[in-house]
Amino acid sequence: MPSEDRFERVTNLVTYLLNREHGATLNEIVEELPGWPSGSEARRRAFERDKRVLRDEGIPLVEEGGRYRIPANQYYLPDLDLTPDEQVALRLAVAAVPLGGESADLALHKLLLGGGGAGDWQGSASVVAALDEQPLLPVLHAAVRRRQVVEFRYREGGIRRVEPSLLFFRDGNWYLTGHDQGRGGALRSFRVDRIVGGAGDIVVSAPEAFERRPTSPGDVMPREPWLIGGEERDTAVIDIDAVLAAKAVVDVGGRGSVEHRPDGSVRITMDVTNRAAFRSWVLGMLDHAVVVSPDDLRAELVAWLASLTVAREDDRTTPGSDRAMPA
Amino acid sequence: MGRPVTDVGARLRRVLAMIPWLLESGGSTVVTVAERFGVSEDEVVRDLNLVMCCGLPPYGGGDLITVVLDEDGTIEAWPGPFFTRPMQLTPPEGFAVLAAGRALLAVPGSKPAGSLASALGKLEAALGASGSLAIDFDAPPLLADVRAAVDAHERVRVAYYSAWRDELWERVVEPLVVHSRDGRWYVETRDATTGAERRLRVDRIRSLEHTGERFTPPDDVAAPDHVFSPGADATEVTLVLPASAQWVVETYDTLDVEPLDGGRLRVRLLVAGDRWLERLLLKAGPEARVEAPPEITGTAASAAERVLLRYR
Repeated sequence: MPSEDRFERVTNLVTYLLNREHGATLNEIVEELPGWPSGSEARRRAFERDKRVLRDEGIPLVEEGGRYRIPANQYYLPDLDLTPDEQVALRLAVAAVPLGGESADLALHKLLLGGGGAGDWQGSASVVAALDEQPLLPVLHAAVRRRQVVEFRYREGGIRRVEPSLLFFRDGNWYLTGHDQGRGGALRSFRVDRIVGGAGDIVVSAPEAFERRPTSPGDVMPREPWLIGGEERDTAVIDIDAVLAAKAVVDVGGRGSVEHRPDGSVRITMDVTNRAAFRSWVLGMLDHAVVVSPDDLRAELVAWLASLTVAREDDRTTPGSDRAMPA
Repeated sequence: MGRPVTDVGARLRRVLAMIPWLLESGGSTVVTVAERFGVSEDEVVRDLNLVMCCGLPPYGGGDLITVVLDEDGTIEAWPGPFFTRPMQLTPPEGFAVLAAGRALLAVPGSKPAGSLASALGKLEAALGASGSLAIDFDAPPLLADVRAAVDAHERVRVAYYSAWRDELWERVVEPLVVHSRDGRWYVETRDATTGAERRLRVDRIRSLEHTGERFTPPDDVAAPDHVFSPGADATEVTLVLPASAQWVVETYDTLDVEPLDGGRLRVRLLVAGDRWLERLLLKAGPEARVEAPPEITGTAASAAERVLLRYR
């Protein structure tokens, strides 16, 4: 069917259900609103598709005893009763931190109209931080605050059932933290961009399904990648040239001990529980960093580097071998 | 059909926001609405035509909103009984505002007890969302100094480590705007002597000295949409990466990604510095290869040999 008609039908559905306090049955909806295909099976399928649009848009559709409604108190937040200064502060925040999505734009339109003085809301923003837009964020955030168990397909490990307790942003990525029911309730963090599918593919339970325990990003995921992971703990010693010493000290944070040398270089002693992440960090400093000990960690790094020099020999003997492979 | 398939959801969201917006402002023009909502004027007219005929059964018209669209593009709007409530945020909009506010508050130098914090408290209470969302910015030590210089329009002398070229330089620059992307902080600068514009990563500024000299910032200062803008001397490089190097695609801007067998990827990207490519290849490991251009296929090996010298 033409998308214009479908769009009109969905818009009508929202305004209709939002205004019927006691909701409506599918029969009533089809009777009172135009734009439905003929035939009960085709109508049911069209309604299912429309329901999915609403779900994907985070519009709350409640079904009770065969009646559908959109509760206005869930569709809108209550009046926030902001002071003029607070109104301006929120405008500034939305202007300075583009989330990239339409919800943020629309919120800004509303905030701009909400009074609180004109203010030069655009002018004074010397800091602009971009948070990556992820279409799943509103539905996941709703699940956190309403304490709904979420079921989703994750790129690693398939279907997960999680009691979500926190949504957080770090280093360009959004994470959902929660107790993983399929992993004995262990507290895990999932990259939101690795959740497969759209908002409509996420299955949410009834609200208030679990107790939410307060957590912070630092509790669930150390900032230092080489401390994320359950490998046996090593204590590594690494020498770093002056040119990168300051940056390395910041990277390690308070979690290592630093010995400053007269030439500006540093020797850092630090814990490692994820060797691959440690290797990446060290190699990111190219020839400005040397692993001093332990011997096996040093040997591992040397072997990795040596394998990279061997790879070049392969390239020479089988040039373009990859291109020759059947598609 | 001349148009791409319409995204029903996105359009629904727009129209549902456009109606109260028009009512609140009592009217507008097609041009203004198009600008506000980032769509074409044709699309605005199409949306308005729909709004004019949408309402509640039994279709008397004007239940929802009365819109008059003049030929000169003027829009007048009166409310029907439905959209008379004050402008209120929906939960997805509330989330967007909360995320933006928490982010701004997480920036070092922000007032933890100001209007923003109290507004966010109210928003969180309305969402029932206390403690549900956190923004964890890793703030480099010099960020507060850089921000202060931007706000004061003050020239600063910086010593900077250029990772692209693996070299340290020192210059006096005019810091224009600070912004964050993918968890990293950047400052757009203008060279005080040559006027050359440079983007610096704040965590690579080794030292910063305030000069006390003021400058007049250009009128059109804005943070860029994209942080990666390779210069004219950037090289297009084709890599074949193992499945374990998926992070390359997730982390960097690519021109093209082609899936190969076994989860491997053929990736085309622009490289603006040899050292940058060396780092990428050393991390990606022996299964990663440079496919083109041919003169740099030995990059990983020569970088590995150079690092190995430190272990002999």
